[in-house]
Amino acid sequence: MNDMNQSANLAGHNVEGAFDVARIRQDFPILGRQIHGKPLVYFDSGASAQKPRAVIDAMTAVLENEYTNVHRGAHYLSQTLTDRYEGVRGTIARFLNAPSEEQIIITRNTTEAINLVAATYGRRFLNKGDGVLISDMEHHANIVPWQLLRDEIGIELKIAPIDDRGVLDLDAYAALLDGNTKLVAMTHCSNVLGTHVPAKEIIGLAHERGIPVLLDGSQSVVHSRIDVQDLDVDFFVFTGHKLYGPTAIGVLYGKAELLAKMPPYQGGGDMIASVTYEKTTYEEPPYRFEAGTPPIVEAIGLGAAIDYVTAIGMDKIMAHEKALLAYATEQLAALGDIRLFGTAPEKAAILSFVQEGIHPFDTAATLDRAGVAVRVGQHCAEPLMARLGVDGTVRASLAMYNTTAEIDVMIEALERARTLFG
Amino acid sequence: MTIAPEKLTQYDEYVEALDLLDEDSRFEYIIDIGKRADKVAFPAECMDEAHMMHGCMSKVWIVHDMEGDGHNFRGQSDAIIVKGLVSMMTGSFSGLTTAELGELTLDHVRGLNLGALTMQRQVGMMAMLKHMQKLSRISDLAAAN
Repeated sequence: MNDMNQSANLAGHNVEGAFDVARIRQDFPILGRQIHGKPLVYFDSGASAQKPRAVIDAMTAVLENEYTNVHRGAHYLSQTLTDRYEGVRGTIARFLNAPSEEQIIITRNTTEAINLVAATYGRRFLNKGDGVLISDMEHHANIVPWQLLRDEIGIELKIAPIDDRGVLDLDAYAALLDGNTKLVAMTHCSNVLGTHVPAKEIIGLAHERGIPVLLDGSQSVVHSRIDVQDLDVDFFVFTGHKLYGPTAIGVLYGKAELLAKMPPYQGGGDMIASVTYEKTTYEEPPYRFEAGTPPIVEAIGLGAAIDYVTAIGMDKIMAHEKALLAYATEQLAALGDIRLFGTAPEKAAILSFVQEGIHPFDTAATLDRAGVAVRVGQHCAEPLMARLGVDGTVRASLAMYNTTAEIDVMIEALERARTLFG
Repeated sequence: MTIAPEKLTQYDEYVEALDLLDEDSRFEYIIDIGKRADKVAFPAECMDEAHMMHGCMSKVWIVHDMEGDGHNFRGQSDAIIVKGLVSMMTGSFSGLTTAELGELTLDHVRGLNLGALTMQRQVGMMAMLKHMQKLSRISDLAAAN
């Protein structure tokens, strides 16, 4: 891996002292692994990112020395761990620039956060015939919850189109806001195409009509700086494991006035104020939406991940990834047999492609032999695949720890795939 | 009941051939089988929903017919590697009776020693085997009616 680290620095994308990818790589133990006898090239961070030592150590420390249940424990361990757990809520709030940590709800993942909004806000405030507007490049997590609501109460699911580059058609979007639309729920950054949507314009146009907006930030939170107040977004959701944190923890941010009006999501411990057989009253947000024992260790892990990303600096990460994206795009184009999906001017370092005449599975299997981990298939976005007119793609999703030398390994493996299957 | 060794000749050939190869060579061996299978016509009308196996990252179709009391299978896929794998499965286990097919287990898939290539392929091949077993049972039921 030393060669890769060295090449990355020699590639000239990193100003000395600004962003040292070689040092960052040392923070991720798994990057030292070999796969099929070759150094692991991990280009599947869009599915789940690798974890830095800081996250692993923070979680291990809790399990070894600090573990107990949180909230209402009348003993030292519980009180100290509760402080740490609730402290993470503050870390998340600062990371998103949320006005208050009480607007941060801990969920299992993005999927649960969207289901929570659909099941609470949706059931309380949407009625038969109301429209929920999504885009044509959503992950299934932002399609199916609304379909369930459609089946249950008869809302209409409306789709804002994209052009062939994967750019949202803003005129069509604005037109679709009129009429029955009562909620916009949209990806902030496509998991397949990498497209960053113009969130402020989307939200501004919706708010002009009094329509709230939910942004799916699963990818955007990793690849851009999020400021929920500047965006003026009503709901923002993301998951921990793509942000270098653990699985089984996600976040829902909501505007305080909306959260206050929303009924509970699930019933159980922690979310109640008092319970009798005759009547139960519920906690205020965020606890109203957090039934049962929360993901305590995972929350500590996510807090450590956010601290890690913050310490490096999102601007530096973005600059590094932008350079990687430019290099990868250029190298893929130079191969001459690559069809790249997603060429929006504003996009994250996510590259979906097919090699002409080669099945994506064959391409991905050849990359795997070279130690390159990519995803293949429909990427939980079947409607988008239909829009693109393909059964599936290969997706290389890059992260802060990737290097130009690793991109060269992928390109070499793609050349081998051409030899094997061409 | 055990399956007569002469009915698993093709399977044994694959096992022996793969045993002699290192991992990279096995990968190329499967691709070669896939490419050879590509030259054998597969009925286009059978590349439909009814013959498709679900749950794969590529499309897989398997057709079935009878020869005496033995089941014959032919497979197809849109990915060359998977075409190689499905060819190995159909080639290995064609000619077996329903009862003999029912005796095949994950151990037979493991016997091909492809697990090291990736787990995904082993799981996929087990799914192919189960699909072939299901086709044989459906065929028997149809014949009984």
